[in-house]
Amino acid sequence: MHIPDGYLSPATCGAFGVVMVPIWARAGRGVRKVVTSRYVPLVAIGAAYCFVVMMFNVPIPDGTTAHAVGGVLIAVLLGRWAAVIAVSVALLIQALFFGDGGVLAFGANAFNMAFVMPMVGYGVYQLLTRRVSLTSPRRAAAAGLGGYIGLNVAALVTAVEFGLQPTLFHTADGTPLYAPFHLGQTIPTMALAHLAVAGFVEAILTAGVIAYLQRANLPVLRINHSGVATTDEDLVAAPKLGWRWIAVGMGTMIALTPLGLVAPGSAFGEAAPKALNLRKYHLNAVPDGLRRYAGWWHHTIFNGYDFANDKHPAIGYLISAVFGILAIAIVIAIVLGSLGVYRRHQRPDRIPA
Amino acid sequence: MSTAALAPEWLTAREIALCPCGCIGKRRKANFVEKTIIGAANVLKQAMFSADVASQPGLLQRIQPAVKVVTMLALLMATAVVRHLSILVALYAATLAIAVASGLPLWFFVKRVWLFIPIFTGVIVVPATLNLITPGRVVIPLGTWFGHSVGVTAQGLTSAGLIVARVATSISLVVLLTLTTPWNKLLAALRTMRVPKMFVLVLGMAYRYIFYLLETVTDMYTARKSRTANHRNNTSSGRAFVAATAGATFGKAHALSIEVHDAMVARGYTGNARSIDHFQIVKRDVVWVLACSVTIAATLGVNYALGS
Repeated sequence: MHIPDGYLSPATCGAFGVVMVPIWARAGRGVRKVVTSRYVPLVAIGAAYCFVVMMFNVPIPDGTTAHAVGGVLIAVLLGRWAAVIAVSVALLIQALFFGDGGVLAFGANAFNMAFVMPMVGYGVYQLLTRRVSLTSPRRAAAAGLGGYIGLNVAALVTAVEFGLQPTLFHTADGTPLYAPFHLGQTIPTMALAHLAVAGFVEAILTAGVIAYLQRANLPVLRINHSGVATTDEDLVAAPKLGWRWIAVGMGTMIALTPLGLVAPGSAFGEAAPKALNLRKYHLNAVPDGLRRYAGWWHHTIFNGYDFANDKHPAIGYLISAVFGILAIAIVIAIVLGSLGVYRRHQRPDRIPA
Repeated sequence: MSTAALAPEWLTAREIALCPCGCIGKRRKANFVEKTIIGAANVLKQAMFSADVASQPGLLQRIQPAVKVVTMLALLMATAVVRHLSILVALYAATLAIAVASGLPLWFFVKRVWLFIPIFTGVIVVPATLNLITPGRVVIPLGTWFGHSVGVTAQGLTSAGLIVARVATSISLVVLLTLTTPWNKLLAALRTMRVPKMFVLVLGMAYRYIFYLLETVTDMYTARKSRTANHRNNTSSGRAFVAATAGATFGKAHALSIEVHDAMVARGYTGNARSIDHFQIVKRDVVWVLACSVTIAATLGVNYALGS
């Protein structure tokens, strides 16, 4: 994901450089506030660690290996602002001393890997670890998922940066001046590579390191998790989300369903293929399959969210919404019941295996 | 001329069984342990080689680091705005000439630049030369595909040439700077350029401790390698080992950062970075700046004259 010089226009590089300056300033303040005078060695060695993490070959099936970026791992270990600085410094050393990633493109690289990746990944991690103890396996899994999502969002941002180049920067006869592929090509390519392989490598390394530290070196995890209960037993009972609030949320959504009546027509002729605007999709006739299978299933309770022959469309929508929510709730209750979730909650004194 | 005056020979020599062409010994895919050890050794090799080259006499080695950083940045920007292949080729030729004048072995320099990013770029832009991606005047028709005529366009070829030449020239400029400047001088140059002192301090410490951490990792991997009897890979136990190594390295890195902080405080560190570098601009620096300015002006002038 390291962008070399020459792929992005100088205007793009300049724009990302300008965007990164306030982010670095904010990160500097954020880190200094937390660790005061120990900030320089901690961040410096964090950056060195980040550089080393990028060199780890993670074995994947088929005997091949792949690298991880480690942006989310550093964010979980040292905090997100420290990660911004540590990853930026590691990237700068790679660009300046080892020719990996461009010098002019440093701002763009830092934006993708040192800002977007740790911020998104750490956000996911925090969202999933509210009221989770420090030694819980959920924490390692959340870090892994954070790594997966963080890397993929960073890859998407990179693909957008590449893909905009031929549209924005070309000569009068259409010769692309920088990276030549369009958004329609860059996004699927980057998404495929990162969703299928690189994301998992990132997730494995991130989750693996956190799981290892949970077993072997808990004090180190405390650097960024002060005040988190060590085990599940130490957790203070959480105030439960009241049924009243769930009812209010669901009720609001039910009340808003008639908004669907405002939208004109139907999407891609789903209800009435004849209503399809053929010219808009460059078609000569309604496709065979669509004509044959439209309206194939007739055994519905509320056909088209209808009620009493569509005399009161809004009421039809409301009743459909209530029925739908009840049906989904019953299915979820049956699934959870068959998985034994309720039983486990009723017997907290059970000794875990 | 010896290219490795200081780096020991065993470090720069290739291991016999690891010959990539497979001519000596049986070739097999290196597993993750070997790859990581080789990767770490390569970083060390590259750094030591840079230090060796930077200490040799040559054109760029005699220019003040701060002057070099500024002129290289300016040349990089000029390279980035150029829209004509001929100018980029001329700029690339100029970097070769400077490399020779700075006493860099030419073949090594070319290999270091072209492997692997420009060649990789060349491969990935091949599809972009087709009219499916870059529409334009078809110069090499390749037949039809689902009723559309497919061919290589002039626009696509020009674009591919532009990006490969630009990437190669940009990397050459950066490699020239880093190979001819010792890293501590480069950091000092950043300080004189008003980059925040704290940032330069972090950068310098990070660079220094990369090698310490790499040594730690290499030790753990070498221990693993020497305990492994066969080469069959067990992927899941391998992943567990990688995670444990990375975790243990973080523990060591954190302990190290506390010790380093204590050592800094013991030597009077109060949160302010100080430096003792003083640079003096001499006549040859002025000449170098003038030469670079003329090159940049000529590049931009010709680029403008040739039009878009």
